[in-house]
Amino acid sequence: MTYRLGVDIGGTFTDFALFDEGGGRIAVYKRLTTPADPSVAVVEGTAALLARENVPMAEVDAIAHGTTLVTNSIIERRGATTGMLVTEGFRDLLDMGFEQRYDLFDLRLRWPDPLVPRRRRREVRERIASDGAVVEPLDLGQVRESVRDLVDSAAIEALAICFLHAYANPAHEEAAGALVRREFPGLHVSRSADVFANMREYERWTTATMNAYTQPMFDRYVERLEHGLAALGFTGRLLLMTSSGASIVPETARRFPVRALESGPAAGALMSACHGRALGLPDLLSFDMGGTTAKGALIRGFAPLKQYDLEVGRVHEYKRGSGLPAKLPVIDMIEIGSGGGSLARVDERGLIRVGPRSAGADPGPACYGRGGTGATLTDANVVLGYLDPDFFLGGEMRLDAHAARAAIERDVAAPTGLDPIRAAWGVHEIASEDVARAFRIHASERGFDYRNSSMVAFGGSGPVHALAIARKLRIPRVVFPIGAGVMSALGLLASPLGFEVSRSRRVFVAGLDAGEFERNLAPLVEEASGFLHRAGVADPAIVCRLDMRYQGQGYEIEVTVPGGGSGAGRAEAFSRLGELFRAKYAEIFAETFLDEPLEIVSWKVEAAGAEAALGYHGIRGGARGGAKRARRVWFGDAFVECEVLDRYALEAGAAVEGPAVIEECESTCVLGPGDRAAVDERLNLVAELADGEGE
Amino acid sequence: MTNPGAIDAVSLSIMWDRLIGITDEIISALVRSSFSTIVRESGDLSVVVLDAEGNSVAQGSYSVPSFTGTAAPTLRHMLAKFPPESLAPGDVVATNDAWMGTGHLFDINVMRPVFREGRIAGYTMSITHLPDIGGLGFGAAASEIFHEGLRLPVCKLMRRGRLDEPMFDVIRSNVRVPEQVFGDLMANITCNEVGARQLLEFMDEYGLDDLAPLSAAIRGQSERAIRERIAALPDGTYEGAIDIEGIDDPLRLACRAEIAGREISLDFSGTSPPVDRGINVPFCYTRAMACYAVKCLTVPEMPNNEGAVAPIRVSAPEDSILNAQPPHPTGGRHVTGHMVVPLVFRTLAEAAPGQVQADCGMLNIVTFQGARPDGHPMSTIYFSTGGFGALRGFDGADTIPGPSNMRAVPVEMWESLTGITILHKRLLPDTSGHGEARGGLGQEIEFRNDTGSPLTAFCVAPRSEFPARGLFGGGDGSRRTILIEGRPVHPKGAHTVAPGQRFTMRDAGGGGFGDPADRPRAKVLADLGEGLITPGAAREVYGLDPESATLAAGAR
Repeated sequence: MTYRLGVDIGGTFTDFALFDEGGGRIAVYKRLTTPADPSVAVVEGTAALLARENVPMAEVDAIAHGTTLVTNSIIERRGATTGMLVTEGFRDLLDMGFEQRYDLFDLRLRWPDPLVPRRRRREVRERIASDGAVVEPLDLGQVRESVRDLVDSAAIEALAICFLHAYANPAHEEAAGALVRREFPGLHVSRSADVFANMREYERWTTATMNAYTQPMFDRYVERLEHGLAALGFTGRLLLMTSSGASIVPETARRFPVRALESGPAAGALMSACHGRALGLPDLLSFDMGGTTAKGALIRGFAPLKQYDLEVGRVHEYKRGSGLPAKLPVIDMIEIGSGGGSLARVDERGLIRVGPRSAGADPGPACYGRGGTGATLTDANVVLGYLDPDFFLGGEMRLDAHAARAAIERDVAAPTGLDPIRAAWGVHEIASEDVARAFRIHASERGFDYRNSSMVAFGGSGPVHALAIARKLRIPRVVFPIGAGVMSALGLLASPLGFEVSRSRRVFVAGLDAGEFERNLAPLVEEASGFLHRAGVADPAIVCRLDMRYQGQGYEIEVTVPGGGSGAGRAEAFSRLGELFRAKYAEIFAETFLDEPLEIVSWKVEAAGAEAALGYHGIRGGARGGAKRARRVWFGDAFVECEVLDRYALEAGAAVEGPAVIEECESTCVLGPGDRAAVDERLNLVAELADGEGE
Repeated sequence: MTNPGAIDAVSLSIMWDRLIGITDEIISALVRSSFSTIVRESGDLSVVVLDAEGNSVAQGSYSVPSFTGTAAPTLRHMLAKFPPESLAPGDVVATNDAWMGTGHLFDINVMRPVFREGRIAGYTMSITHLPDIGGLGFGAAASEIFHEGLRLPVCKLMRRGRLDEPMFDVIRSNVRVPEQVFGDLMANITCNEVGARQLLEFMDEYGLDDLAPLSAAIRGQSERAIRERIAALPDGTYEGAIDIEGIDDPLRLACRAEIAGREISLDFSGTSPPVDRGINVPFCYTRAMACYAVKCLTVPEMPNNEGAVAPIRVSAPEDSILNAQPPHPTGGRHVTGHMVVPLVFRTLAEAAPGQVQADCGMLNIVTFQGARPDGHPMSTIYFSTGGFGALRGFDGADTIPGPSNMRAVPVEMWESLTGITILHKRLLPDTSGHGEARGGLGQEIEFRNDTGSPLTAFCVAPRSEFPARGLFGGGDGSRRTILIEGRPVHPKGAHTVAPGQRFTMRDAGGGGFGDPADRPRAKVLADLGEGLITPGAAREVYGLDPESATLAAGAR
């Protein structure tokens, strides 16, 4: 027998999912994260789960791992003391940022401090032009002196080397890197063109500083993890999930820790896509709502939409623009400040707001009884009867319904003059509306018609709100996967090995021939394949994409090169580049009558191994709930006596008619009157919305 | 609340946010289908939903300050020419008139009535800055509006769903980039169609026959909210004036504010007369900037609508540069008009000391004309940013613009597009106004003309004579200077930069707030450690003892 294990480290819990490849069974397990050394929870939890399931370590052939370590060390500023070398004249670009405000009316805007403070940045004489030509040679003596000074005066552990136009010619960054490695072997070195070779210095350099800043910590972590697992007898392959949904081997992850940003949420989106494939649903909204935020992703044609921009650690109420920008291949996620712990208040308009301020997990909502007094979304959901105070986290935690009601009365009902139930309903509805609105705009910006799609809902609070949100969006179907509390761990099992490289190089299509086209792509194909070869994939699938635009336009469109895996395919595609571009343009924007010349701006190549099959049926390890009794639950205008079901007692083929509440350990699904749900053979609960119901 | 029987707080929150969501979706449709980069990159646009009475109800969340409160007056001008009863489904009305729209000919206002069961249920309007409108081009060079391009009176671009072809022919043959202008006009038409569809669906979903009750509730709540904040400010008459740079001679902008209970009025009597270059401001723009400033001071987080401007009365004498009449040219009306914001802040400083901002270093918009290294003709804009003004207890950010908000072009992008090398781009220590809270630093950007042919640099650099001033004892920021080969040149003018020559811009710092002596030592030391102030300033301005000043400076 062979097994695969998915392990996801979250802020509070480390989740495990063990997949039996022969039998198609999944066993799940959860334990508290060990913040001081997260590898401890991984190693101990792995041992505990395997012992529980009677699985010998020798039969585990792969462990797929996702973690928020990299993101958290940036947000909490717990990374290494980092220095930076930059092109002479440009030391201050990290302080200047985009030179634009992200809110026009709020004059007290805040931006995150750069990861490398100004005093630890040094300028080096060198200059490369935008075409890659060396204008001024690199002053290696100055590199040596600067690094010596940073080591002596600031005791840096990591160094980011960031030169202008390095994407066009990395020679100077490479030469400086080689010197530093030779003469300062203890330093971790990140080069901007190595991390992700795209034009636009602020984002590329910031990404490189994130890589440098997190590298020493991540390197030590991966090393401890490998040792710990080896000590348990693990001889299989350890894989680390990246933000793009592909996995990489430890060697690559230690070189590029920044690729592991947001790997947990990416795994959740990947798992949604995986459910879509199993259910034959190509277009999905993946919806995850936890304690402080809600996250969403769009899935088109069974694959999550991707992009190349990410923001880390927003410092101003989750506002777009208030974080540090990273340029990387990532699954295109929305994040809004709505979660179970989000605080409800009445704003200056006299209207109810939910979030983005959050009571977090500690002190948490008023009903937790841990000292939090502010009314939260979870408090509203308790008042409305959606959550059972006696069965929170499977009964492990008892909630104080009186405290919930008192908080809602004080913070929401009194200032609005509403009765407490209506006020709680308002909090619930407004949170759902906020999520729906974020999805609407996100989908609209991407030309995604969500009305024919389905939703996959998970996370602690996701299933409570999913049908309300689907109703607002007129999405006819919502899938509640079994194991919603460990979706990311499951998603890790579905992640293929893969790596994407990119190069900015501006070329006019008219001035290009097939040979030159190939000379641009072939080295990238080789580079991307190399990462897969070293990970043991002999013959990876290759996808080539080009960022193209009309000459002079500021907005690029990604065009996939059909048959990009072979030289012949690329040559064929080259002959119809214009046609491919115009078809894509018309798909995204309106039809165009423009006859401007075309240019290629960026060249991107992704190499991927085979998709990991995950044909499971059933899951075990979730705690059982006790006997359920019906309770009163609020639906819009009245309390309804509502059936309460134990999710774990529902067999494949079972049907449920709303109104109903279906409880599992980590979450609760709420079906409204007229909604219907059925349990499929993989124990997913698939709900269909009441016919023709709008708001 | 106080509106029994009307829409309660829950429904109102949801429907209000939904309407704003619709305007955001219209913006997304507009941005996705527009062609020009000015719409896509700079976000110089706005979208508004108005009710059947012509009140603005919701505005896209991202709308630049110059469009605060302009849509409703624009619609009134449109309906004066085409009364509601004369409009038919599929009609699209537009104007770029500087006095009816947003102050210059570049902005096109496109409106579509939304019909529901044969009646007008409301209107949607989009406003975008067109890439060209003919005439002399973008800038302040004209001496009358007729030089500034095509002026479209209120007209129909579409009648009953069909394009008015002759009108488009006129437009196309009057602009330099007809495809882009046509593309952007079509994007405006399309997005309003999307808006109408969304609005009707919304009304169906919520069973609304009429937007009026919802509109009244939204405007009522907004008006109440802003009135409450105004009422919290002390009643009284406040006066302020600033001197700003004109074309030749300085100009004076004066403001008299009266706060009486829950209302505020702003009058700009005492302001200089118009000039014969395109920096004159039609009143619609003055009003927008004044309303923007009041909104920042009172309800910055509240969505825009008619209610949010209802308690603000704005007036300016007709013979002033803030209420210029035709045919005065207005192409660069923002150069003067943006100054209304710091003027209002200064005027209201005693009334709202916790909210007002010291002056910003503002933007210098430089146009470079010449040829790229490959010989292609080139005309391109660089936005060069000074420091943001400080607020009470809150430092102004370095190199952040205000009140306008154009994003800088990345160095790598700029060099690859233009062949103009940027030799350095550095913060300038000590350029900010000192204070308990300091202003943002300015920067120095040095270009070298490596295109192989001469360049002409057109500058309209503010803060070259009159710096960004501090408030409550805070210091002034540094002045903006422009140099060629190290020699200062006129900050407003056209300069030839020969191949190989260096063109240097030193951007203005933002004003400080409060007495520097009250600045927390830790902040002084931190700035010194980061090299943002010099040891000299630490000693002389902030009174740091020389020894710790030297120590902290040495740590960097």
